[in-house]
Amino acid sequence: MGLVRWWGGLVVAFGLLALLRVYLPLPFAIEIMIFSIYTIGCSFLLGRVGFISFGQPAYLAVGAYATSFYLYYFGTNPYVGILIGIAAGVVVTLAVGPLLVRLRGDYFALVNLALAVIIYYLMQKVLADITHGDNGLWFLTNTASTLVLDLTRPDQFFIFALLVGFAVWAFYKYLDDSIFGACCLAVKVNEDKLRFLGYDNFKVRLTAFVIANTTTALAGALYAVYLGFVSPEITSPARAADPVVVTILGGAGTLYGPIVGSIVYTGMKDSVSKIIGNWELIVGFTLVFIMLAGEKGIWGSIEPRLNRLIARVTGVRNDEVGQ
Amino acid sequence: MISSQLLTSGFVFGLSMGSIFFLMTIGLSLCFGVMRVISLDQLLYYTVGAYITYSISLATGNLWIGLVGGVAVGGLTALAVERLVFRRIYERELPFSMITSFGVLIGGVGVVKFFWGLVPRPVPVPIDAQVFILGTEIPVYRLVVVAIAALVYLGIWLFLHKTIVGKAIRAGTENVEHVEALGINVSRLFTLTFIIAGALSGLAGGLHAPLIMVDPNMGLEVLAFAFMVVIIGGLGSIKGTLISSFLVGQVISLGSLVYAPLAQMAPFVLMLLILLIKPTGLFGSPMLKR
Repeated sequence: MGLVRWWGGLVVAFGLLALLRVYLPLPFAIEIMIFSIYTIGCSFLLGRVGFISFGQPAYLAVGAYATSFYLYYFGTNPYVGILIGIAAGVVVTLAVGPLLVRLRGDYFALVNLALAVIIYYLMQKVLADITHGDNGLWFLTNTASTLVLDLTRPDQFFIFALLVGFAVWAFYKYLDDSIFGACCLAVKVNEDKLRFLGYDNFKVRLTAFVIANTTTALAGALYAVYLGFVSPEITSPARAADPVVVTILGGAGTLYGPIVGSIVYTGMKDSVSKIIGNWELIVGFTLVFIMLAGEKGIWGSIEPRLNRLIARVTGVRNDEVGQ
Repeated sequence: MISSQLLTSGFVFGLSMGSIFFLMTIGLSLCFGVMRVISLDQLLYYTVGAYITYSISLATGNLWIGLVGGVAVGGLTALAVERLVFRRIYERELPFSMITSFGVLIGGVGVVKFFWGLVPRPVPVPIDAQVFILGTEIPVYRLVVVAIAALVYLGIWLFLHKTIVGKAIRAGTENVEHVEALGINVSRLFTLTFIIAGALSGLAGGLHAPLIMVDPNMGLEVLAFAFMVVIIGGLGSIKGTLISSFLVGQVISLGSLVYAPLAQMAPFVLMLLILLIKPTGLFGSPMLKR
């Protein structure tokens, strides 16, 4: 029963996402999948650890460029490329993490943004010989077809992205339930008390930082394989706040918030820019409205009601469902 | 070896850039110092100031009138935002104000796009004259920008040190409860600080307009640099903001003479180095929230 309940929410959520594929155009569905994976790292950092980061594109670019370098210069197998993207994410976050997690919350946000800018110029100008600057790297034709799930075909790529998403969400759900997840929350609420309990704040923060931003790098690797192309635009400072906006929109720290946020944000961007071509107006004021209305976000507001509904239907008080 | 002419013009270029940075970030710094909010919407007043300057100078043919308009509208927009939004979030945590003000910033950019469209607009430089300094031609307008920034710094210094309201603001950066206990209306003090910050950001936009093209995303483009300046200087310190603006201006300008591709990156590396040594910036105090 516990097992069923634990996996139940996940299966329902991803079943709904798979259903989305039937009604919506494929590129939109894939974009939502990757964007959700991109955002969950930010959501975890903001909602669980209390770190707000305006520099998520930096880690996205790390994953994307690592994968691209492999596929452009060395090999053809997209799966190996994605693994290399993840490895690069781990290496880079381990390198910058010890410096960044020492900083105070506000400085953390700003320094991350600076990191995104550094990587932007690094890819655009300094390493232009390798990255081809603004022209970017094109390797769609380099990527080999694989036997089981052929990532060069968008419909099969969607299935792969869905599976990866499922694994990521199962992992984050496990994290939320674990002692480590509780430690993260404790770091956010009161780090002194956590220290009294004998935990090392620095280690908890660093681990959370590495986990969250490696997930972001994974999203970058997925983008690279899906688009078959990467350019410095991916880490452009103008897009730096996208994940933060989506996180807030969905509800920071909730498990399914990033998915709901991505659907609403991507949908809003598409439909609004079709109608009036001015999505900033809507996104900006929605953001302000949500913050003033209690910062719980869309999923954060729905979730408690859903829980109550499920509890009434099944007759059991159940805090797990829909978490 | 870099010629002395190149060095002189590079130095003046960096000086004028530093002046713009200073005017742009002093609002951020003041708001953090007094209200303990991170007000990213200052970049919106910067954009609005630039656009008002553009429109008025197009209509009247005089940039200086436009500049006055830009400062006024920047201040008024700040007043409106303070009344509608910031009033409700002074009590909240820092990241909260950061996200909310970012929402104001992109929403405002949307409004700007609505009124002026997406196309970048050029603003004519009001003074074409050049002067010779150390045998190098220097555009007078850049020197004027530096002079205005210096006057603003002087004005702010006099305001903060010689007037009773200024002294109250300065005391507010130390301890706002004590100021309140003295019978000073802190709420009005906050509004005033916000208006000053917005007007100065508007001034920065108006002054910067002739040097670049005016476009809706100009605020987002300088966002990273504005961040960097306040971080290097230390949030909330006006002296720190002044020093770090000129430091960053020179690093960008002289850095581009040494090796062009690195120029945009060098200040960020500088910032990381400074934070490694002192995690609160050059003049930042360790205090966070009252």
